[in-house]
Parts: sequence; C-alpha cells; structure tokens
Amino acid sequence: MNKIFFNRFRAALVACIIAVAATAAAATEELHLYIWSEYIDPQILKNFEAKYHCKVISDLYESNEEMIGKLQAGGISQYDIVIPSDFVVPSMIKLGLLKPLDHGAIPNLKNLKPEYTKSAYDYGNKYTIPYQWGTVGLMYNKKLTPDFIPSWSVIFKHTDKHRPYVLIDSEREMIGTALKYLGKSMNTKDKTDLKAAADLLIAAKKDKNFLGFEGGVGGKAKVAGGSAAYALVYNGDAYRAMAEDKNLGFVNPKEGSVRWIDNMAVPAKAPNAALAYKFISYILDAQVGARLSNFNHFATPNAASMKFIDKSDLNNPAVYPTAATMKTLETVLDLGKDNRLYSELWKIIKTR
Amino acid sequence: MRFTGRVLLIPGWCSMTENEIVYHGELVKPRALYRRGLVFILPGLLWIAFFLALPCLSLGIVSFAQRNDYGGIDWTFTFDNMKRLVGFDLFGWSADNLVILGRSVMVAAISTFLCIVLSYPLAFFLASRPVRNKGMWMALLLVPFWTNLVIRTYAWLIVLAPQFPPARFAAYFEMVDPGTALYPSMIAVYIGMMASFLPFVALPLYTAVEKLDWSLVEASFDLRAGFWRTFRYAIWPQTKSAVALGITLTLVPAMGMFVVPDMLGGAKYMLIGNLIQEQFGTSRDWPFGASLSLALMVITLATLLFFNSKARANKERRS
Amino acid sequence: MKHTHPLINLTAVLLFMVLYIPLLCVVLFSFNASRLGMQWGGFTLHWYVDLFHDGMVLRAAMNTIILAVSSTLISTVVGTVLAVGLQTAPWGKKARRFFEPLINLPVVTPDIIFAVALVIAFGVIRSLTGLFELGMPTMIVGHVTFQIAFVTLAVRNRLEAIGNEYSEAAFDLYASFGYSFRTVILPLLLPGILAGAMLAFTLSLDDFIISFFTAGPKSMTLPIFIYASVHRGVTPEIHALSTLVMVFTILVVVLLRRSEKHNEQTEAKS
Repeated sequence: MNKIFFNRFRAALVACIIAVAATAAAATEELHLYIWSEYIDPQILKNFEAKYHCKVISDLYESNEEMIGKLQAGGISQYDIVIPSDFVVPSMIKLGLLKPLDHGAIPNLKNLKPEYTKSAYDYGNKYTIPYQWGTVGLMYNKKLTPDFIPSWSVIFKHTDKHRPYVLIDSEREMIGTALKYLGKSMNTKDKTDLKAAADLLIAAKKDKNFLGFEGGVGGKAKVAGGSAAYALVYNGDAYRAMAEDKNLGFVNPKEGSVRWIDNMAVPAKAPNAALAYKFISYILDAQVGARLSNFNHFATPNAASMKFIDKSDLNNPAVYPTAATMKTLETVLDLGKDNRLYSELWKIIKTR
Repeated sequence: MRFTGRVLLIPGWCSMTENEIVYHGELVKPRALYRRGLVFILPGLLWIAFFLALPCLSLGIVSFAQRNDYGGIDWTFTFDNMKRLVGFDLFGWSADNLVILGRSVMVAAISTFLCIVLSYPLAFFLASRPVRNKGMWMALLLVPFWTNLVIRTYAWLIVLAPQFPPARFAAYFEMVDPGTALYPSMIAVYIGMMASFLPFVALPLYTAVEKLDWSLVEASFDLRAGFWRTFRYAIWPQTKSAVALGITLTLVPAMGMFVVPDMLGGAKYMLIGNLIQEQFGTSRDWPFGASLSLALMVITLATLLFFNSKARANKERRS
Repeated sequence: MKHTHPLINLTAVLLFMVLYIPLLCVVLFSFNASRLGMQWGGFTLHWYVDLFHDGMVLRAAMNTIILAVSSTLISTVVGTVLAVGLQTAPWGKKARRFFEPLINLPVVTPDIIFAVALVIAFGVIRSLTGLFELGMPTMIVGHVTFQIAFVTLAVRNRLEAIGNEYSEAAFDLYASFGYSFRTVILPLLLPGILAGAMLAFTLSLDDFIISFFTAGPKSMTLPIFIYASVHRGVTPEIHALSTLVMVFTILVVVLLRRSEKHNEQTEAKS
C-alpha cells in the first residue's frame, strides 16, 4: 500500500508543480480589477483583453467598507483598479490608499460631463474618475405586495401589512435612508437626530419581518427569489432583475433617497498603473461607456455616451430621475472627524 | 538538571560508565541526548511560539488600544474597549454585548447536549451493525464530517426554504407565517450547529460503545432494573470519558462558531463569533474585535479548566 | 451485541437522513435549469460546463489545492520531527507540562480566536516592517500552525504503538542513532506520518475560518468563494461546485479507508 500510495502521491505532486509552473510561464500583462459584483459587462472585459493583449482578473465586493478593509490589509499593492463611492473617497485619500492620476494617460477624460469634473469630494478628478451614478431605492415583489405605496414607511412602520424585508449593509446609505425618512439630512451631526435614526433602525432590525443585512445584489436576489417582499437595492441592479421578471418593481420613495456616484480609482501601489490608465480611458470611450450603462442600467456621467444609451433607460425615472425626484435625492458627504459618529452608530445598530 | 557523573536518580535508567546512561538501548551522554532532542523539537516549538503564543499575547495588548478615525489602530491605551464590552457606548448602557456572549455560551451548551443525547442511538446503531457493513456505515458517518462546513451549512438554506416540507409543516402548525422560510431563526441555528457537531461526539462515543462490557448491562437487566437505571449505572460510567472527549471537541469550538449563525441566524441572532468577524470586516475596529476575542478566550480557558479538573477529580476518585 | 431496540435504529436512521438530506438537495439542485428560486426548471448539465469556464472558480480551486499541498508538506515535516523529538528524549515532568498544552492548544481553541490573533499580529508587523501582507504565505502559515498539532498527535500515537523494542534491538547491534532512525524507525513510522499528512491535508481543504481571515485579495480559496457567493444569492453554479467538492471529499475518505484496511491487513499478516 505504501509504495502504491507514495507513487500516486508523487505523481499528483509533480502534476501540481507542472501546472503552477505553466501558469507562471504563460504570464501576460494582468489587470487586477476590484469591483462591485454584477457591475460590469463581461464582454467589455473580454474586448479590453483582446485590444490590449492582457488578462483581466476581477475580484468582487459588496460594500465600500469591505473594499476599504481589504485595501488596508494589503490590497493597495495587489489591485490596479477599485471602484469607491463618492463619500468614502476623501477618507481613502487621507489614508493614502489612492494614487494621484496621470491625466495625460487618460485621453478620453474629455468625454465627462462638466459637472463631474468639479465634484465636492474630488475637485478636478485628481484621484478619481466617475464611473456610474445612481440611487438607493426600494425594490419590491409585486406578487407579495398588492397594496404597495412608494414610501419608506413600508419598512419602517410596523402595521399588520408589514412584510419581510432586507436592509442594505452599507453604513452611510442605510443610516442616510433612515434619516431621510425622519425628514432630516443624511449628513447631520446632531446627536438627537442620529439617535432617532439608530432607534428606528434597531426597531426595524428587531421586527420579525427583518431578514438580514445584505449588499444591494444580495437583497435583489432575495426579492427576486420571493423570500423578501422589500429590499434596499441600487437602482440599476433592481432594473436588471426587473428586465428578467415582470413581477418586480422599483421606486425612489417620496421621502427621498441616497444619490451616489461611483468612481474609478487606482490604489497607491498598484502593480500595473499604466494598464489601469488605459482601462479608465477605455471605459470613458463613448461606445464602451454606453455599453456599460446599457448593461447595468445605471446612469452614466459620460456626455459622449448619452446618444448611445437605450431610450428605455433615458425615459425611465428610476434610472434618470426627473427634476422633481432629483430634489428629494441627497448625496452623502464625508464628514471628516465626524465620520466617527456614524461608525459608532452603525456598530451599535449592528449589535443591538 | 545537573549531571554529577554518578548514578542518576531517574527510574528506568541505569548508569553504565561515568556520565553515560542507557536510554532505550542506546549508550549516550545525557547532555547529548537532550541536545539531540532539542534540535528535533526546536523548529516545531519555535513555530508554535512565534505564530501561536505570540499572536495570542498581541491579542491581549491590542485589545486595550483604540480605533483611529479611519479604521487603523491608534496606540493610546485605555479601558474603553472593556467598557464597551460590558455595554457602555456612545448612547448609554445596553446589555447587548453581554447578551451576545451569554447567548453564545448557551447555544453552544444546548447544542452540545443535543449532540450527546442524539449520539447514543447513533453509536449503538453503528455498534450493532454486522461486521461487514460497519465500514460502510462508518464511511457514511464520516462523509458529512469531512465535507466543508460552508457547504453543509448553506445546504440547510435549501431545506428550510418556504416551499419545502419543513417550512410548510411549521406554517401548518402556525409556528411561523405561511410563506416564510425557517431561517433566520434560533431553530435554524440549533439545527445547523447540531448537524455540524454530531460526528464529533458520535465517533468517540462509538469507539467506547464498541468496547462496552455487555455483561454488566445483561446483569443489570437480569436483576430487573429498568432502562434508565441500567443506563445510569451500567452504560454511563463506561462511556463517560468518551462523552467528556466529545464535549471538549464540541463545546469550545461551538462557542466561537460564526459560519452557522451567520448563514442561518442572519443579523438577528448574532453570536460572539459574528460580532468578532464584524469588527474585522465592515466595522474595521480591530482593538474592539481583539477585546471580544480576549473575552471568548477567557471563557474557553475557564471551560477547559473546569472539565480538566473534573476529569482529574474523577481519576483520583477511581484510584 | 446482536440486536438493538427498533426505536434506536429508527432514531439513528433518521439522524443519518438529517445529515444527508441537505447535501442531497444541493446535488439535486445543481441540475436545476432555473436560475433563481426553488422552482424546478428542468434537468441540465450546463452549470457544470459554466464552472469550467469561470476563471474565478478555477483560480479559487487552484489556490485551495496549492494551499493544502504546501501546508501539508511543511506541517508533516515539522510535526513529525517534533513528535520524534518529544518521544526520543526523557523530558521531565516540568518540561512536559510546558510542552503539552502549548502543542495541543490549536486542537482545543476555537478557530476564530486563533485567526483573529494571527491577523492582528500580521497587521502590527506589517505596519512596522511591511512584511506579512495578507496572501498565500500568510494563509500557509495559519494552516501549518494548526496542522502541526494534529500531525504530532498522529505520529506520537504511532511511535507509542511501535514501542522501543526495535530501536533497542538496533542499538544492541551497534547501530548509531542516525542509522537506526533512518533504517528502522522511519519505515515503521511511515503509516503514522501518512495518516498525519492525510489528516492535515483534509483539515486544510476543509478549513474556512482561518483562511477567511488570513486570505489576501488574490488568494481566494473555494470555501471563501462559496461563502461570498451565498451572500450574493445562491445560483445552481454554486450547487454544482459544491457537488464536485463533495465528490472529491468522498473520494478522499474512500481512499483513506482503503489504505487503513490495507494497513491492517499487512500488519495482521506480519
């Protein structure tokens, strides 16, 4: 037995070593992309690989906090592109996680709509280039909610008609939504307001209809699968699910929601920054940008792509909100020292 | 230990010449013997010291540090984390952390108890199979044991879904609303824990049952003792040590479990494992996570010492 | 014993069902043609085909195997040497009371404490020296540390079973320690070493918590991948992957039992 086993073991070991050596030998240029799940068309990646003779390796995450944690644990020298949301960018810059961008290497920068070059969180696009923008709204399953009203009260008010729901696992966006429901600003530093929001969310958590905290994609999957009636979901994810199933609906509730802008950024010690700039420029191309938005049904910040966007998306208030809805939307701001208030609050909400 | 070159007062050895002894047939100087032994154990010991003992120490140190504004470690040492453990945070006092700790211990204890109770039928069943089938049944018990915990746990998400018999059954008896799954819930967590740890108790128990002295059991029945008396006086004393081993292998890991509560309990039924994992994931508060782990370690050591002392007391009583 | 009460048999069979039904459900649904929800949409094999085209899955599988093989190799060597050292020198009671708990610590500590301690230690070292970035090396270190305890256990058991007669006989015949060890002890020890190695290998494949905490961005393993996917929404592709992992596990268990049986037979003959 020992001899036979030994021989088999040795053979397996040799096979493993050969396989590893083969992969190492076939090393072409690699782009390590760290991105939200279901956020990019796989065909775009394939086209990029073909155009620049490289390989794109994607890693996925579900929340900004997860992404920052990974970067701090060593990811800044292992990824070439990350996609942070606007409100975490100032903190990431202060933490030294991002590399200043070489605008000369990004020719398609001129395609951006002017308002996206003068943002509060990164004036002049020194570290980030807008990728897509959207909202955090309410996705619902029409079959389970015959008496639907487009308001956050379906989650926060506890009545007989209360149904199973999923909350979003994102610190600022979840607390921000609760504050909006209470009629306050998402960026308030008032402790009483914050406590009220915390109490609201803790009560929502303790309710028997609470199914858990998930990322936007996780929540969408639960509503589509029928185990939840409501979930907080990013508008594009919801819309993609609705394209496959007519029983699903999405709305930006009347009390208001979070408006976010996701950006492409390059980590400070990225292994292949040159390729990263090529990728950013590629995404900013008019056709590619349109293809991206038509795939994930989010709104694009790319002026040149607008004429290639699907008409159904342009006319859809869930994707390109009307002026009236835009007034109810609010962007989350980085609060510097006061970010700590929200972190503490989130920890309390999660543990109580 | 000093060697004087004369007779060494260690039983089992005999002194041949000055400063040399015979150890298991080998004629060797004690110093050389120890040196050789040291060379052998040093790599292992150094590895364990460096990658196990030292990290545990650093755990203790970091648990007194603070979290800085952006999620790193701020090396100002305070008792803040200890205060937060006991429940004092930004918004006053709440018992929630202690509740989570208590809940973890309780869930672990109940799961262990359930596993023990259910392992007895399993062990007796296995022991009573004909010899040619025993191997097959053992393999059947081992396969879930070796299957990855993540897979075993998420499989329950399918079984406990709303459309399947268990959930429908519960809905029929009005234990849950119709159309809801049986998770996240405490029942699901208990089921998951029990399914994970059952083999850990069943296997040692089966070994003990195999070696069981049936004459005692038969004698007890001959003397007209009922089932429970037979169990208590004939079977239990013989299987006690196996149960103790099963408890050590189950209770302590169960207290730190986080995969099962995470998938089957959701954010509603947090156990200490989930809480710790939060601090290292989305909350990015390593010092608080360290203090929570420290608390868990203290509880673990206390449990182990308790069982150890009981085992020693038992041995002394017997001898 | 010949027969058991039918109630006991019934309970035992029910327990086996409870253990297996979830796993069988996973296998069943890996052939489900409908993507979401629990409705049966028809029988299909295309999820298995998709698996082999999914770069992430293949990379995770490769990482899992590399991790298991490297950590098993290192831990088997270190653990065997450690066990031999413990048995072949007359350590006193005080020394033993120091060694034993230290070596058995990983067996009884909850994995999560150990994983957290490692991550913190690595983080502190990293902030001071820039070494120990989370990735495959840190995962290997984590795995080896807890595998050593199990390998040592297996090898020590075997050493005790062998006893001292063989080495004594060798020394009586004027063999040196090195020679006796190489030609007498080591061959006899081989089953124990292999048992320890197999144990370490399966523990590494099975491990989730330590991998989860010490994994770096590029060193995702299969259990981590499955865990992350469950949160995103389970698809039949994950069921297919789990089924393949289960089949692999069954193969390993069968191999183990075959080798054990062969071992017993050769020992019975000699």
